[in-house]
Amino acid sequence: MANTALTRPARQVTARPAQRSRPRRRGQRAAYVFLSPWIIGATVLTVGPMLASLYLSFTDYDLFDSPKWVGLDNYVRMFTEDDRYWHAVTATLEYVVVSVPLKLALALAVAMLLNKDRRGTGFYRSAFYAPSLLGASVSVALVWRAMYGDGGVAGRVLGVFGIDVGSMVDQPRYALLTVIALAVWQFGAPMVIFLAGLKQVPKELYEAAALDGAGPVRRFLAVTLPMLSPVLLFNLVLETIHAFQSFTSAFIISSGRGGPSDSTLLYTLYLYQRGFNDFRMGYASAMAWVLLVVVGLITVLLFRGANRWVFYMGEGKR
Amino acid sequence: MRSRTPRHGARILAGVVSVALAGVLSGCGSSSGSGGGAQTVRFVWWGNQDRADATKKAVALFEKKHPDIRVQTEFSGYAAYVQKLTTQVAGGAAPDLIQLDRPTFGEYQHKHVLADLGRYTGSTLHLDKIPANLLSGGKADGKQYAVPAGQTTQMLVYDQKLFAKAGVTVPEDGWTWKQFTEDMRKVGARTGVAGTTDFGWAVDWFDSWLHEHGKQLYTADGKLGFTAGDLEQFWNATAALRKTKGVSAPEATTKMDGSTQNSALVLKQAASEMNYDSNLTSYLSSYQGTLKAAPLPSDDPAHSGMAALPPVYFGIAQHSSHKDAAAKLLDFLVNDPEAGAALGATRGVPANSEVRAAVCGAATGDGKAVCDYEQRVQQRMGPSDTWQWPSGSSAIKTDFQQVYDDVIFGRTSVSAGAERVVKNAQQSLEQ
Amino acid sequence: MSAQAMTRPVAGGRAGGRRVRTVLWHVGVAVVVLVLLYPVIWLVSTSFKPADEVLSNLALLPRHATTGNYGQVFGGVAGYSIWQYLGNSLTVSIGAVIGNVLSCSLAAYAFGRLHFRGRGPLFGFMISTIMLPQHVVLIPQYIIFQKLGLVNSFWPLILPKFLATDAFFVFLMVQFVRGLPRELDETATVDGCGPFRTFWYVILPLLRPAIITTSIFTFIWTWNDFFTQLIYLNDPAKFTLPLALQIFVDQTSKSAFGPMFTMSVLALVPIGLFFLAFQGFLVEGVSTSGLKG
Repeated sequence: MANTALTRPARQVTARPAQRSRPRRRGQRAAYVFLSPWIIGATVLTVGPMLASLYLSFTDYDLFDSPKWVGLDNYVRMFTEDDRYWHAVTATLEYVVVSVPLKLALALAVAMLLNKDRRGTGFYRSAFYAPSLLGASVSVALVWRAMYGDGGVAGRVLGVFGIDVGSMVDQPRYALLTVIALAVWQFGAPMVIFLAGLKQVPKELYEAAALDGAGPVRRFLAVTLPMLSPVLLFNLVLETIHAFQSFTSAFIISSGRGGPSDSTLLYTLYLYQRGFNDFRMGYASAMAWVLLVVVGLITVLLFRGANRWVFYMGEGKR
Repeated sequence: MRSRTPRHGARILAGVVSVALAGVLSGCGSSSGSGGGAQTVRFVWWGNQDRADATKKAVALFEKKHPDIRVQTEFSGYAAYVQKLTTQVAGGAAPDLIQLDRPTFGEYQHKHVLADLGRYTGSTLHLDKIPANLLSGGKADGKQYAVPAGQTTQMLVYDQKLFAKAGVTVPEDGWTWKQFTEDMRKVGARTGVAGTTDFGWAVDWFDSWLHEHGKQLYTADGKLGFTAGDLEQFWNATAALRKTKGVSAPEATTKMDGSTQNSALVLKQAASEMNYDSNLTSYLSSYQGTLKAAPLPSDDPAHSGMAALPPVYFGIAQHSSHKDAAAKLLDFLVNDPEAGAALGATRGVPANSEVRAAVCGAATGDGKAVCDYEQRVQQRMGPSDTWQWPSGSSAIKTDFQQVYDDVIFGRTSVSAGAERVVKNAQQSLEQ
Repeated sequence: MSAQAMTRPVAGGRAGGRRVRTVLWHVGVAVVVLVLLYPVIWLVSTSFKPADEVLSNLALLPRHATTGNYGQVFGGVAGYSIWQYLGNSLTVSIGAVIGNVLSCSLAAYAFGRLHFRGRGPLFGFMISTIMLPQHVVLIPQYIIFQKLGLVNSFWPLILPKFLATDAFFVFLMVQFVRGLPRELDETATVDGCGPFRTFWYVILPLLRPAIITTSIFTFIWTWNDFFTQLIYLNDPAKFTLPLALQIFVDQTSKSAFGPMFTMSVLALVPIGLFFLAFQGFLVEGVSTSGLKG
């Protein structure tokens, strides 16, 4: 069925010999046909909605009545009046700043541990990667809530060391940490990328360093880290962008509330609450645009800053 | 740049996409119709397991009497319920028969989500046996939009053994606030379990407290009936109790959502708890130990902070395509004696006075406890008409708890928190 | 040389020292793997625990193993058979896979092989949408589907995939198409194939590895997806597994924890199977293209 449908356009094109004079044009037309789903999608589901949400961010809109223009009200309210907005910003920044470096450090450490020509590395690599596939699911978030909740394993293990934390998910001090732990748990994906990067590092460099009398720490700092820096940058950017948009874990662990005391109110969770519980679509749109601008700025900053520490092989051969 | 070509291609591809999609989706069958000519009514509520069991029993009775109507039931906890219902309504997937409470009623009536029941009154739907003070809460602009499912009032439910262990007895004609505060501290100190669940979390108990002071949460014209100063005073009282284990710790309080699963009392983190007596059967069926209900503390019997209120309403969605069937189900739940017997006191005592007499007359066990309590505190109940919650009060209820979380965890001061509640509440009421 | 340096601390028998190191390494890594996978193992074991053990027993083996939870889950959840939720999840996931494979390969072929005006800027734009937080388009998209009366159907979850909105996979396939030898499609052109037939008979078969990667990841991501489904699906008859899991959470009853974890296990089974079958592919996909897990 799909087969005949797909070949139909080809027939129609050839049916008009007058326009077939130049194959280039045929290529042009074909290209647009191939691209048309994407073009429709990009127009109707990306560019259009982006502009629409920009417009909505200047309005008050609840889905029931038509949007009412309010100028900068949403933005002003967000930055000056809404305490919960700042709770969300704080929680998100803490989440990003703690989880991303921890995750990358763990990923790098395990990648180096696995970067050996030993039997079983393939199996271990897969085993470490598995949480990255499972971690985004509701199932695992539910497990997390049980593990860090009343009588869960985390409390009991810490209890053995004489630390009484009680139910971690119910205390603002610890609740976000449990969400962070779930993010860090999924270090497998960046680890696999690091591992691929490590395989590219020429063995001779280590040998040369060893000849110069460099110890393991020195070898790591002088060879591994610089050689791996492009991969590190890639992981850093990817994980940061990703972390800013985390939702499911915080939602499930806090039963959708972002509590206790807004400690797990990640930005997207608050955006969801404003948009889909209170139906303040204008306000939520304004929040989304601020997120877009901030994430964009941070990405640019990461790339700018990268000039100082990222080392590319080509230029390094000077 | 984009001349005729892409648009032409677009049309072709749209064709391809829709053909392919039809293939994908044909397997899943749209579930709008239910086949066999029978109508399906979706009926949703929140509550605990005991309410769910009783309601499903009543629904089964209804289906037996009306073989042409199938009832699809869904239930969840309160917070999740409110969240989901809002999205369903917005998405055009509102259920047919909806359980509402005072805040959500105001919200949905205001948004024209609810059908005017006038069309059914007298024919399918009979309201003549329901007391006017309960019915009035489901009215707006002189029209009936929702029917009370029962009658409830405020209570303090407590663990008899723990209270006895602490040497605390409930005064015959109820506590004064001073006695109550002392007793709760005593329980906390002597049993190690906090005297009562921190009642600062719910706007409901603040409303009771306001009534005791001759005020009310919302004025008759839907304005805010209290000041930040009032709230500050209320929260200062709970703050003082918190320091001495008179009320539950923040970790326990923050979980409160009205369900027994998260109740500090049921989790043995407090020895008593304020709630409506419509939840008494849930407590009794899920608590390990013996519980009893007592009236709220008050300094003046004439202002007890208690009133006969509808625990929940039933309303029918405006856009429902099975309104008649839903009205039949509504009528059955409220007026049918068999349904009454099945439902018992899981939504407070029945609203229909005849059904109530029959149910309470025959009640045993948990249901009897509710009937007895209602009977006992009847004299203390004040007028019901000062407890109406306008549109916007749903958001206020959520925000109230939100801010209180910040207060108990020390993220904000009592006075700053109170200011915030008032400021946000005024905004919510304006909208 | 480096091997010598590494074994130096162990005096005497080189081979013996290496073996000890290897064993230690294996033990160490295995312990870390076990700790890491404890939550998953606990979940599976809990699904076989009776109600009174679910929250109290942290051990990895149930004291009294039971399949009662499974019986309960297969007996129906919230009035619907678990097969219905499973079917809904499958419909959405498979629909998304078909959509992504079709639309992304079409777009990738155009971007990777064909010459047309505006290719550079369009390609740049496509790449930039990979980074775009979906929340910016979320609300207007919701409004569009709401006005079309398509909320509470699978369309909002599947239709965008047919319009190549997952730019990442377009990019992945473009990279792949560019890596294919040009001679092949040139031969096809000489044989009189137009771009459409070239795509269908030459490119598409060669794209197979990229298509498999795209399919696996699309399937798993869609299967796990919670946010979009939470927003668009309201009626329990349409619920997917992640949403049906929410029912347990919402229904405020402690006795439901056993079945809840059991259903969690069931929700992870397809991912587990995919993982076992394609782990090489998955890991390779991640390391070569930086796919997020």
